[in-house]
Amino acid sequence: MGLLDSEVGKRRLLTVEIPIIERYNEGRDAAFKVRVIRQGASLVLRYSLKPGHNVYQLETRLVSSYPTVPPETRVLTPLKHCPHLLEGQTLCLWRQGSTRATSRWDPSRFTCVFAVQAAWRWLACYEIWHETGEWPLPEAK
Amino acid sequence: MDFRPLNDTERRQLIGALRGNAESDRAILLDRRDTSFLGTAEEVTDDEVIFAIKSVPCHY
Repeated sequence: MGLLDSEVGKRRLLTVEIPIIERYNEGRDAAFKVRVIRQGASLVLRYSLKPGHNVYQLETRLVSSYPTVPPETRVLTPLKHCPHLLEGQTLCLWRQGSTRATSRWDPSRFTCVFAVQAAWRWLACYEIWHETGEWPLPEAK
Repeated sequence: MDFRPLNDTERRQLIGALRGNAESDRAILLDRRDTSFLGTAEEVTDDEVIFAIKSVPCHY
């Protein structure tokens, strides 16, 4: 299914993803709203998160095969190297690169806003790790 | 970025919220204006869930 070039993909965008982004943006300061940008066959969400006192710029990419393939989120703001951070400051959220059976991403239940919320939680862990050197949540089995 | 750390109280509250979320499914409440941390709650309404972190099944 192509997110932008199939009827199923377009329906998912129009009935699920875009409405949930609009709802996420309601009442939010302009600097913290999600902006959606088309890049080729992908959609990119650009947004800011502030789990503590620091504001981070992020982007979440919905590739052509989304939602079967989970969204990829990376932090644009420079970070210190830390656990659960992949090349290009991509966040390790759903066991990217693993098989579909072991991935924690469930396309039937989650939307792109889940990825934003997961990124917030990751950044909250990062803020604690930055000061203590310990990731505050154990790795799920 | 000039990193501004949490103070001890803020850090303890955030650690408690993250662990409560992971272990007991307690929601983490965010300020809808700027996503800053507000606290935790046992339950959130359907209307509030978009502004809270209820259960995000990350692998860490």
